[in-house]
Amino acid sequence: MRSASELKIGEKAIISDIDNSNPSARRILEVGFTPGEEIELLFKPVFGDPLGFSIRGTLIAVRSSEAKCILI
Amino acid sequence: MLTETDNKIPLITLLGHPNSGKTTLFNYLSGKKYKTVNYPGSTVEYSISRVLSRFEFNANILDSPGIISLIPCSPDEKLSVNYVYNHPKHGKTDLAVVTLDASQLSRQLLLVKQLIECNFKVIIALTMLDILNKKGLDISAEKLSELTGCDVVKIDGRDGDGIDELLKIIKENINKINENNVKHSLKNYDSAKIIQLYSDIEKIEKEVLFSIEPLTGENELIHIENVNKKLTVLNNYKNNGHRKIDKNTISIDRFVLHKFWGLIIFIAVMSLTFTSIFWLAAPLMDLVDTFFGNLSEIASNVLGNNLLSDLVSNGLIAGLGSVLVFVPQIVILFLILGLLEDSGYLARGAMLLDKPLAKIGLNGRSFVPMLSGFACAIPAIMATRTIQNRRERFLTIFIIPLMSCSARLPVYALLLAFLIPQDKPFIAGLALTAIYIFSILSSLIIAGVVNKFTKRIKSINDNSSFIIELPTYKKPKIDTVLKNTFKNANQYVKKAGPVILVLSLILWFLTTFPQQNQEDLSVNKISSTELVLNATSPFALINSDTIKNQNSGEENSDSESETEYDLSKSYAGMIGKIIEPVMIPLGLDWRVGVSLIVTFSAREVFVSSMALIFKVTEDEDEGKFQEGILNSMREAKNEATGQQLFTTATIAGLIVFFVFAMQCLSTVAISKKETGGWKIPILQVVVFTGLAYVMAFITVHGLKLIGIS
Ligand SMILES: Nc1nc2c(ncn2[C@@H]2O[C@H](COP(=O)(O)OP(=O)(O)OP(=O)(O)O)[C@@H](O)[C@H]2O)c(=O)[nH]1
Ligand SMILES: [Mg+2]
Repeated sequence: MRSASELKIGEKAIISDIDNSNPSARRILEVGFTPGEEIELLFKPVFGDPLGFSIRGTLIAVRSSEAKCILI
Repeated sequence: MLTETDNKIPLITLLGHPNSGKTTLFNYLSGKKYKTVNYPGSTVEYSISRVLSRFEFNANILDSPGIISLIPCSPDEKLSVNYVYNHPKHGKTDLAVVTLDASQLSRQLLLVKQLIECNFKVIIALTMLDILNKKGLDISAEKLSELTGCDVVKIDGRDGDGIDELLKIIKENINKINENNVKHSLKNYDSAKIIQLYSDIEKIEKEVLFSIEPLTGENELIHIENVNKKLTVLNNYKNNGHRKIDKNTISIDRFVLHKFWGLIIFIAVMSLTFTSIFWLAAPLMDLVDTFFGNLSEIASNVLGNNLLSDLVSNGLIAGLGSVLVFVPQIVILFLILGLLEDSGYLARGAMLLDKPLAKIGLNGRSFVPMLSGFACAIPAIMATRTIQNRRERFLTIFIIPLMSCSARLPVYALLLAFLIPQDKPFIAGLALTAIYIFSILSSLIIAGVVNKFTKRIKSINDNSSFIIELPTYKKPKIDTVLKNTFKNANQYVKKAGPVILVLSLILWFLTTFPQQNQEDLSVNKISSTELVLNATSPFALINSDTIKNQNSGEENSDSESETEYDLSKSYAGMIGKIIEPVMIPLGLDWRVGVSLIVTFSAREVFVSSMALIFKVTEDEDEGKFQEGILNSMREAKNEATGQQLFTTATIAGLIVFFVFAMQCLSTVAISKKETGGWKIPILQVVVFTGLAYVMAFITVHGLKLIGIS
């Protein structure tokens, strides 16, 4: 299964699940990354990390290590 | 300061997501001027105020740091979240007013849901409706109220829209409050529960949002009337509408967060910020400088040649002038930081820097505290509270004193003015930028080193995380930025003013007494008065014809050495002699040592203490204060070696000293408070001051080695 950290810029995906073993999983859910939501990877600045996602009409930057728990 | 009766009046707590407009609303209701910033996490401390009397409502309101969820993610967050239930100082929340960014309805309703479930009495204040409208959407407050069971009001805390209605509803609800049976935890709060809450929220969202024609003007009213008509049209919302991001924000971010351009823009923004402090302020500083130079001259003219005149013109006016001359720079610094903060760029900066900062044990969220450290370390250290991970937070606190705070500006300005010709402010600007870059690089290296050595002290359960919302870009509200700038400049003067005055007085006393008339009885009367006057009253000197005549020509060098002889017998001289051995290796003498000691109470005092110690002799044609200090500095000889005291090398050494030295007692105090112990502040004092000395030594002798004396 792929995770959101593997998306390419401009690629959209629907969240299928959140991997609860990641310590940030709960905060990821709380900020709105819930299964069924559509996300798009919009920005990946200079250092390639964190990643800028669009979720629920907002831009949120998430470290790729934490974006790993967003399964698509 | 709460009195007995305050405990009995209702407490209304403003809660909500970071950046949802709590402080803006708080300021409107309380008339206070707390900082509102387009960055999630600008408020870090609870603050309370009485509602302004013009609202005719006797209640306290409490502003709170933004939270995403009632369930904390870290021990530090837990502390802050727990205050929501019961603040140790301000008491129990009677009524929760939740500011809810309407453009992010679904994400922010989660907190509302949690609060309702915990039995809080909740009123929803919808904010950012202008942004929602720009997305082509609007929201029905009635429907939202119906579906959540809370009262809902649309407001804009920036201009007071809807506040009257909000207050009306608050008043109605206050009367209905009965026993407070708030629950302190949510049952079975796990992933499944969050997902469940979100699916409830989505149902609400579908009912309350409806699309409107993209707004061009202020025809909001029409849209509200058309709610029902529009609702039917609106069921195709799934494929667009509410999930769209503000178009402008996306187009700006295509550059700002671009792989290549993002970095260039970042560098450009940062260097413009720091260079402009110098060259934009230069003409204004000149004005203030001239003003105080003249004032001091007038004072000594009026008061004549005596100790009082000397105290007023040299101690008081010169001391005050040396503070106020930097007000223009402070104003410009805060103005630019304010514009930057309000635009929404800071969160992008944090994102850009997260990876490199994480490598040295910091966090992207360290960026904003570090940046505000350039204004003042105290709010900066408090701002680190937005960093979840304790280790990262402490490391950030550790290095913040290395950021060149505004109190160091006067010092650098004086020292740079010594090195760089006055007619080239641009070079001075670049040099200042170089100092800033040097201090940043040093702090990063130090953080990296400390991080390496403390790797093992990693508490379990302390998750390093970087999840940040990138707020919609906004046109900075100029009046808010101006107000904030004014407030900060005011604070700078208020804080520095008295300290500088008192210290100048003490220093004046120490350099003036004990008077040596008796000892010098053998010397003839006139020259002994001359001695004292020379030592204490440079301005009086100019205006006293007799002494000036005596003081002309070849006698100049003579009288200068006599002056210094005199000073070394003063109390200041006695203290200075003790630290002389420390200063000699830096190519400096005890007089600079005395100035440095004084700066441990406030760095700004360096300038006025140099003025006092080096006995500024005013240029007759130019009434400028700084010129005066510079001239005496150029003439000063090292008492130990007889060589020129201030050279390129020693000045560079001094600059380096100031870059590192931990010279601010308030910073030590806040560092102790925020880290909950003495370990970090003591380490800061020892490490940074030691480093300052060593680095200054290396600079002076390194420069000498390559032929720059
Ligand atoms: N467009 C728009 N901007 C607003 C509105 N209300 C507040 N703002 C702006 O939103 C930004 C954030 O406001 P704050 O009041 O600092 O938010 P806060 O909730 O106190 O944020 P934290 O202290 O970080 O939790 C500021 O730039 C405000 O000027 C509004 O109704 N519309
Ligand atoms: Mg706030």
